[in-house]
Amino acid sequence: MFKPDLPSNRMVFEVRRDPALFTGFPGKLERVMTSYGLSEEEKEAWRKVDVRKLRELGVHPYFLPQITRLMHGSRKNDSSSTAAQAYRRSMVEGDSQ
Amino acid sequence: MAEIVATMAMAHAPGVTGWLTSAPQEEQDAILAGYRRMGEHLRASAPDLLIGVANDHLLNLPLHDPPDFCIGTAQHWRGPAEFFLDWLQVEPYELAGNPTAARALAGTLTAEGVRLATSDELLFDDNWSVPLRFLTPDYDVPFVPIHMNCINPPLPEPASCYAAGLAIRKAILNDLPESMRVAFFATGGLSHEPGGKRYFQVEEKFDRWFLDLLATGDVERILAESTIEKMESAGGGGTTELLAWLVALGVATNKVANPVFYVPSVEMRCGIGGVVWKTA
Repeated sequence: MFKPDLPSNRMVFEVRRDPALFTGFPGKLERVMTSYGLSEEEKEAWRKVDVRKLRELGVHPYFLPQITRLMHGSRKNDSSSTAAQAYRRSMVEGDSQ
Repeated sequence: MAEIVATMAMAHAPGVTGWLTSAPQEEQDAILAGYRRMGEHLRASAPDLLIGVANDHLLNLPLHDPPDFCIGTAQHWRGPAEFFLDWLQVEPYELAGNPTAARALAGTLTAEGVRLATSDELLFDDNWSVPLRFLTPDYDVPFVPIHMNCINPPLPEPASCYAAGLAIRKAILNDLPESMRVAFFATGGLSHEPGGKRYFQVEEKFDRWFLDLLATGDVERILAESTIEKMESAGGGGTTELLAWLVALGVATNKVANPVFYVPSVEMRCGIGGVVWKTA
């Protein structure tokens, strides 16, 4: 169930709007997660790109593929891309990375 | 009174510009041919103004208690927002807005009871960047974007979306300048499920049912049968973008839609299609 106040939701909403944040995002992940006040459970799911867990915690489903792109890049996001494969492993196959 | 010279609806799947070459050749050809036909239809109508309605994708509207619609009132628009450049592979573009027309629309819609906001700062993603590339590749027609809440419950019900379309139609006909030629288009759908287990699936049976339903022109039946629940059953969090198509139905002069193309593309992760409504 979507929880608008979950720190991860606020973080995704704002990061996409701010090139200073989304550029090179994986390298800033720890700092940004701390600045938004993510729980340890959220942080661990982000580190693993465990979108299934993030959905369980209340992240809006629409944000989940965007999270995989923040972490693995957006270019040529076809089904064989790193981002799409990360999504498949976590959400479809349930094998969190 | 202004004239409605085109009413259309089509998918805005990001793969169409972002990774089309990964799809089978016959899908690529059918998708490009379909969008080309939509573009030809639009340009043949020689509009002075484009008005579009599409999912905001949780990009601009607040996460808490969003309005159903948000009309863009800026003098000037640009897209795609930087975060989406790599994803969409669309060159940055700019096009004019029409604040006067936007405010006229907002006034009428508010008076008609539509839950509405206005903004002169809207980020564009695939919602406009994919269709505009085909509809108006020179970006030379002024544009009024209407962003819509299609995925943050509670969503506007189909009847409310249709009513919003009727209000837009009323505003175009009554409040926009004499002789202005207005084209209206909705973008979004068809079946897709960003954020769910069916992310890599398309529900062709649902898509074809929906297109056939629109082709009946039977508004009462369309609104009764194309429920939010049925859309969700064909792909959660994405298929409800078809609510925007029901706004276009309200705007349309003749309610019988003509399907232009449909491609159930798994590689695009979306049922991709478009319709046009007759103007008389």
